[in-house]
Formats: sequence, C-alpha cells, structure tokens
Amino acid sequence: MTNIPLYLFILVPVAAGIAVLFVPGKARYIKETISLLAAVLLFVFLTALKGQEVHSALTWLSPGIEFSLRLYHFNAFIILATSFFGLLTILYSSVFMAGKDRSNQFYSYLLISIGFANGAVLADNLIVLLFFWEGLLVTLFGMIAIGNKNAFKTATKALIIVGISDLIMMAGIALSAHLGGTFEISKMKLTVDGLGGVAFILLITGAVAKAGSMPFHTWIPDAAVDAPLPFMAFVPAALEKLIGIYLLTRISLDIFTLTPHSWASTVLMAIGSITLFLAVMMALVQKDYKRLLSYHAISQLGYMVLGIGTFTPVGIVGGIFHMINNALYKSGLFLTGGAVERQAGTTDLDKLGGLGRQMPVTFACFIITALSISGVPPFNGFFSKELIYDGALECGRIFYIAAIAGSFLTAASFLKLGHAAFLGKGREPGMSKVKEAPVLMLIPMAVIAAVCVIFGVWNSFPINGLIVPILGEARAHGHIFSGFPANATLVLITVAVLVAALVNHIYGVRRTGRGAGAVDHIHHAPGLRYIYDKAERGYLDPYNIWSRAVKVFSAAAMLFDRTIDLIYDRLVVGAASFSSSAIRGLHNGNYKTYMLWSMITAAILIAIIAGVI
Amino acid sequence: MPYLFILMPMIGIMILNIFFGKRLKRFAFWFAFALFFTQMIIAVFHRLITVETGSGYTDIFFKADFLTDHLSFIMLLSIGIVSFASILVSRHAIPEDKSRFKFINLLMVASIGMSGIAIVKDLFSLYVFLEITSISAFILIAFQRDILGLEGSFKYIMLSALATIAMLVAIAIFLLISESTSFDSIAAALKDSRSSRLVLLAIGLFLCGLFIKGGVVPFHGWLPDAYSAAPAPASVLLAGIVTKACGIYGIIRVVTSVFGFDETIKNILLIAGTVSMLVGAVAALGQKNLKRMLAYSSISQIGYIVVGFGTGTALGIAGAIFHFFNHAIFKSLLFVNASALEMETGTNEMDAMGGVSEKMPVTGTTSIIGFLSASGIPPLAGFWSKLIIVIALWKTGNYLYAVIAVLAGIITLAYLLTMQRRIFFGKLAAGLENLKEAGPGITTAAIFLAAITIVAGIFFPLIFDKLIMPMNGMALF
Repeated sequence: MTNIPLYLFILVPVAAGIAVLFVPGKARYIKETISLLAAVLLFVFLTALKGQEVHSALTWLSPGIEFSLRLYHFNAFIILATSFFGLLTILYSSVFMAGKDRSNQFYSYLLISIGFANGAVLADNLIVLLFFWEGLLVTLFGMIAIGNKNAFKTATKALIIVGISDLIMMAGIALSAHLGGTFEISKMKLTVDGLGGVAFILLITGAVAKAGSMPFHTWIPDAAVDAPLPFMAFVPAALEKLIGIYLLTRISLDIFTLTPHSWASTVLMAIGSITLFLAVMMALVQKDYKRLLSYHAISQLGYMVLGIGTFTPVGIVGGIFHMINNALYKSGLFLTGGAVERQAGTTDLDKLGGLGRQMPVTFACFIITALSISGVPPFNGFFSKELIYDGALECGRIFYIAAIAGSFLTAASFLKLGHAAFLGKGREPGMSKVKEAPVLMLIPMAVIAAVCVIFGVWNSFPINGLIVPILGEARAHGHIFSGFPANATLVLITVAVLVAALVNHIYGVRRTGRGAGAVDHIHHAPGLRYIYDKAERGYLDPYNIWSRAVKVFSAAAMLFDRTIDLIYDRLVVGAASFSSSAIRGLHNGNYKTYMLWSMITAAILIAIIAGVI
Repeated sequence: MPYLFILMPMIGIMILNIFFGKRLKRFAFWFAFALFFTQMIIAVFHRLITVETGSGYTDIFFKADFLTDHLSFIMLLSIGIVSFASILVSRHAIPEDKSRFKFINLLMVASIGMSGIAIVKDLFSLYVFLEITSISAFILIAFQRDILGLEGSFKYIMLSALATIAMLVAIAIFLLISESTSFDSIAAALKDSRSSRLVLLAIGLFLCGLFIKGGVVPFHGWLPDAYSAAPAPASVLLAGIVTKACGIYGIIRVVTSVFGFDETIKNILLIAGTVSMLVGAVAALGQKNLKRMLAYSSISQIGYIVVGFGTGTALGIAGAIFHFFNHAIFKSLLFVNASALEMETGTNEMDAMGGVSEKMPVTGTTSIIGFLSASGIPPLAGFWSKLIIVIALWKTGNYLYAVIAVLAGIITLAYLLTMQRRIFFGKLAAGLENLKEAGPGITTAAIFLAAITIVAGIFFPLIFDKLIMPMNGMALF
C-alpha cells in the first residue's frame, strides 16, 4: 500500500506548467525536459497506486463542498491515457514547436490542461469538477490563441461556444445537486423523469459539448487551421474526448441509472448518429489535410455517444473502447498531418502529392491509423465499431444504418486523403524535394501506430483488462466482448461497405484523374452541392447564426440600455456622491464631535446590553 | 515559549540602545531587519518548536499568564509580516539615520505591545499591552511633528482616553465579582451573575472601549486623520495591524474567551459591523486623498471582520479571522504603495497623479493585486474570506446583512478601481516625467506582500483546512 496524495496528479503538471513559463525563451531543451519529467512522474504515481481505490477529501468552501478526489480504475485509465498522449505530444512538439514564438506558453498551457483534466476526472464532488472543467476553458483559449494571426478570433469563438456549454452544465450541476441533496458524485442517485430528466439533458449537453459534439463543434475545424498542430493532436483529438466521454459515462452509469430503450437512450443515440453522419459528410469534401481530420474528430465522437447511448453492455464497452481507439488513431493522424505540414510547407490537398516515396515512415503510420479509423480488420477501430454496431442494432435499425453509412463515408474520405497526399504526383514543383520528418517526430507516430495494431490484434487486453471493470461485473456478466466479433452478418456488411468505398474511390479517381477529386461526384451531386456550398461559407454554423442574431438584438438592447444608463448616470451616481459628501460633511475634524458620537453610542449600546431599551 | 515574542523586542531595544545608540546608528536598520525577520519566522514555526500552552510570571497583583492558540498564531503571523514590511519601508521613507533609529525603537515598543495582546489570557494584562501599543502609536503618528500629525495624534489620544476610562471601569467591576482578572475566572464568575445590571454595564463599557480602539463606526472619528497624517512606514503599521490588534483581536478574544455569545452581543456586532462596512465604503468613495481613502476603506473592511464574527457560527468566525489576516496583508500592501507614491511624487492627492504605472511598474502591478484582493476578486485571498463571511451571514438567516455585505463589496471595487485608474492608468500627469520606481526596500515589501496574497488565495483550501478551521476546536464554544 503506497501512499501518494491524489492532489499531486493535479499539482505536479500545474507546477511544471508554471515553471515552464519562467524558462527563458532561448534556453533549449529545458522546457521540454521539465514537461517530459512531469508527464513521466504521472506514470510513476499511477504505477505506485496501481489497482488501488483511493479517496481523499479536504475541507473546502463550506461543509458539503469538499475538495474530494477519488481514484479508481476508470479515471486511473483516463489519467493513464492523458499522460500517455501528453508525453507523446510533448516529444513531438520538441521538434515541431522548436524555435517558434511563445513555445513556452504552449508547454505551460498543455501541462496545466493535463493537470486540470486530471482534476476533473478525479473529482468526486460536482463543484470541484466544475472548477477544473471551467479551468480547461482558459488553457484552451490560450493554446488556440498562440497560433497564427487568425488564431485569436478562433480562440474567442471556442471560448464562447465551450463557455456556453459549460454554463449549461453548471445549470445541470445546480439542478442535480438540488434534486440529489448532495454534491458528492458517488452518493448521487437520480432518475430521468420530470426535473431529473432536465438535469440529465443539461449535464450530458455539457459533457458531449466539451468533447465537440454537434452543434457545439464549429470551433474545431477553424482551430485545425489556426491553432498550433500539437494542440489539435492532443486536445480535441484526445484530451477532450477522454474527459467528455468519461463524464458522459459517469452521468449515465453512476449518477443516473439508465436502461436501454428509454427516451434518454434515444436522445443520446440521435445526437450520436446526427453528429457522426453530418460531420463525416463535411469531412468528405474538405480540401485541407488538417480540416479534414478535424471533421473526423467530430464524427468519431458520434460513434462513442451512439455506443454509450444504447446503454446496453456491448454498446458501452464499444463506446469506451472506441474512445481510447479514437484518441490513438486521431492523434496519430494529426501527427502525420503535422509532419506533412512541417516538411512540405502546406496542408492543401490540391498542392500535396507523391509524398509516400519521400516520407515512407510517415506514410506507413498514416496507412495504419487510416485503416484503423475506417474500421478495417484487424486494426483496433474495426473491433470497437463492430461492438457499437451490435449495440445500435439492438436498439433500432435506423441508428445502425446511420453508423454504417458514416463508416462508408469515413473510408471514402481517407482513401481520398491518402491518395491526394501520398500517392500520385505533387502539383507544386517543390514536392519532389520533401524529406522525411525528424526522428523525434516519427517516434510518437510509430508508437501510436504500433498500439493501434496491438489493440486490434490483441483486443482482449484493453477490453477485458481496462474496460470491463468500468462496466462492473454485474453488468458485464455473461457477455464476451473481446476476440473476433461473433455476429458474422455484421462483419460481412462492414466488409461490403468498405469494398463499396474502394469502388467509389476508384470511380471518382477515374472520373477526375486525381486523388483530391475522388469524391467530387458526391460533392457536386444535385442538392448536396447547394448544402455544401452554404455550409462551407459558414451559413449553417450556429455560432455565425447566433452572432448575426445577437447583432440585431444588441441594436435593440442599445436603445433600452441608453435609457437605463441615463438613470444610472443621474440616479445612482448622484445618490452615491450625495451620501459620500454628506458623510464627509459630518466629519468636521473636530475631536469634540467625535467624542460626542462615541459617548452617545456607548450609552445606547450599554442600554441595549443592560436590557433597558 | 510564547513570551519569546515579548522578550525578543524587549531585549532588542536594550541591545539597540546600548550598542547601536552612538556611532552605529547606520546599522540599526539591519539589526531591526534581522530581528523582525526572525520574529516572523518564529511566528510561522513556533508551534512546531514549542509544545507548552501556558507559562509566565506570577505576582500578587500583576499576573502575566500567556497562551498561544490558533487565533494568537494568526495574530502573531500578521504582526510579524506587517512589522517586517514596515521596517523595509522605513529604509527609504525615513532617510536620516537619527530619525530612523527613533522609529525603530518605537516599532519595537509597538511590537511588544501587540505580541502581548496576542498571547495574554488576563483582562488587565490585555489592557496594559493595549496601552503600550497605543502609546507608541501616538508618537508614531506625530513622528514628523507637523501640524497634521499632531492633530491626528491628539484626536487619537482623546478618544483613547475615553476607551481607557471605559475599560478600567469595566475591569474594576469585574474584580468585584471575580477573584482575579484572568479570562477563566471572569468567565466563570459571569456565568453566575450574568443578569446583574452592573455586570452588563461592564460588558458594554469594555466592548465600547474596544470599538474605539478598533475604529468601528461611529467610534472611528480619529482614524482617518491619524492614518493619513502618520509617516509612511508608520501608516503601514497602523493600518495593517495596530488598530486590528488593539480593537478587533481584543473583541474576538474577549467575546470568545470571556463574555460568550448571546443574542444581544451578536446583534450589536452585526449592526456595528454593517454600519462600519457601509459608512466606510461610501465615505471612501468621495475621498481625493489616497491615504484617507485607504483609511476609510480600512473602516469598511473592519466592518466585514466584525460582521463575520458577529454571526457567532464556526464558519463566520473562521471567515472573520481569515479576513483579518487578509486585510492585514492587502491593506499594508496598499499603504506600502501609497508610501512609494508619496515619496516619489511628493503628494497624496490623487488628482495630481496619473499614468504612474508606466514609470513605477512594480508599484502599479502590486497595487492591482492589492486592490483586487481588497475588492474580493477571485482567486485572490480577499475573495475567499469575503465569500465565507457572506455565506455565513446567509446561513444564519441574516439575509439583509449578507446583501449589504455584497453591496459594500461592489462599492469597494468602485472606489478602488477609480483609485487605480486615476493614479496608475491613463496618461502620465504633468510634472511626473522624471518619476522613478521607489527604492528596493519598498518594492521588496510590496512584492513580498503581493506574493502572500496570491499564494494564500491559490492555496486557500489548504490554508483554510490546516490553519483557520482548527480554531473551532479551541475553547470557543
């Protein structure tokens, strides 16, 4: 039994993050070393606490709002994953961010994000959770804002969107604490009827919005272009999915006890299906490597929400397994995107081409992670998607069809991406001179690709070792999740869909003669073309719609405001200055007055105490 | 060894006058610096070093019995920190060695008095130490021997005389019913004869005496004049700790250890606190002189402490004590900044300043931290203590007081923001082109105090858990 205070999981990264800020800009390797050490320390703590369930509480704001943390297998798993991705991202950034302005700010925000995320998943009290959850908003803003020249605008957009979703969650927390009579997560038991249902909707909105679900997703594609790339590989691809899905699972399994076929299940599954389908439709037609990936980051979230939303054991296992798989291959893909960006100088698919020969390792990593995300056996994405299909089919055919259609489009878009970037010929003259990325950038990609293969081929390790304990023995009893999927029909359908995607790709390439144009026939299909056009210009972005609505509203409010302002200007200021000068007038500076005040008041006080008055 | 806190400055005065009195006056500062630094460190660690709770010298008439508990610990810590800041400021604010030597002597006397107040457990000894502190404060206020200083000092003496009379009469009455003046025996005697008119008169008189010393409205008349007339390092000391040690700590100590809470005392504290809070804040709003504004602000903040204490609940008292500590830190910080401005610009009038941040970055930045903490902006220390006080008020059902406390917080933000904008932001005022940053002593003190405010705010859960809350385990209830 080793004793490590849980708050170290929060304190160590945050302290390292603050320390990094003070490292002079010119000193090389110091900030990287501090950051790596902090990430490694988290591993050490986790190993030392292996398998234990630890609970610690400090008195905080007032009795009932304690700073209570709880470590158990689920959040230990999440912390393990965040530290793993944090470590790889730092390693990668040591090359990618080298020499860039404000790179120490980047490391600082990254580490503080890790600390806050650890705090959020460790929290056993909703107020503590909210504290760290909101804290992540600040570092999110910071990390986006240090990108290119548009980044500040994008950062503001992210701040507003995520801030609104956090506010919704805050309302949910207040309501559930009111209903449950406690802020302690482990003591809370609610049902989803009446007000409980409202609380449920508010809470899950906060959880899935953090993870980037529709319609709270629109900042992610913008950030993909404007923010530093390691941010994309770490935060939207891994960190936010991990904590968002973690919270969603906690809400669905611990706070509320939900059953399949309930209305809550249908709502979640609908959110999941819509997100996965619409986002992948958008991903399909992107012309930029990073933007394309970012839409997939949204789309894959749909699968997880769909899986967990079934509330069947197989769906939940699939959802959680998909969460970790997605974190793996999505950050892997972003890292290949970063390698391409750094070496080729662009991520525009119309300019890229033929990089496979010059960047063989990057290409190999891309192939493995792309096959994983498309759900090709025997890579990890295949197994988690099959579990989700299984769960979805149990709850309604329409959800299964949406999921499988999404799968088709995912495969098609990655065929296009791979073809355009790595095969064929580059359209720019410089493309043939591009070299392979430095080894420090290749290591994280290779590690991630290797884990993708391991989690696929040997899937009983993550499923039985890490995920089934989360579900609990009682729920998992009698099910076998690992190994090759038992339902052969589903596997056949999946394979058929993948083959269809390949056929579609070949058709598209024949038609236009280049990889980047492989899906033009879908893009320009009658009807779809109009919608795509509007979506690309941001007409369908809820943020823009709201911004316009807000402008109209603010004009109206301005009129009202001027009236109020007049009252404030005259009335409040007048009252304040009047009373202030009245009090000043009373202080005439004469000690006799002051003594008189004292004596009269003393007499009154004594009379009160003695009970005369 | 609680008496160490009294002995150290006492022996310090002897050494100072014997060895440094003649030719080594230049080094007196460093001696005092070392002494106060040691005292501060001992205040932090003495609970680890010593385990005793009571010891002292006993005579037939004068009993000196000492006790340290968590409350005294916070008090001693505040005394240590503020005296240290004050001595740092004196390095530059009092340039001639000779006057500084006098100042250091007085500071040590004040330190004896305040440390004594913190650790006594006897009503008469409490009075004696109060007087020691007050006497050194009288001289400190009139230190520059200008007309304003003498006037401020005179007002303080006059009102203190009232307080002295009230307290002595009260002690005499207590001696009638109890065999000694120690807290325990008076508390025991009070249990038997609580309803007697005479005893109630004594309680009222003693409380009024402490109200005068603490500057609670409407006993506060002397306070703005005294604070604003005192030389810079003395105003840091006075505003930061002296009035709080004499008045507020006295009230907390006497009510918890001797009188005990009853509904009347609670109501008196709540009303007096609320009135102070509001009157202080509104009066500060209209001030043009920086030091006067800060003085009224002190009255308002004292109101918070009294109100929090007046709830009588564990949470409220904890909040009051935490605010006590925070106020000592941020108000000294603001006064340190005021001294820096006074020395560099030669004035305290806010209209004559503007855009100072540009030339005095350290002063400007630490002033931001100080005023944010004073206005209760998270995550600085002042936010937490005000929050706890408001929560405590709400929980005990004093909704009106809670609302007024929040309102006074808004007014606090208003006047301090105005102060910050007028002095530090905007365009550089005419005639300040050659402004320099204040000397290293003053900036060190400012940075030191600002750091404490930030750290206490960020590590609030830990501090609250380890230092403030255990106080409810002491003999309060």
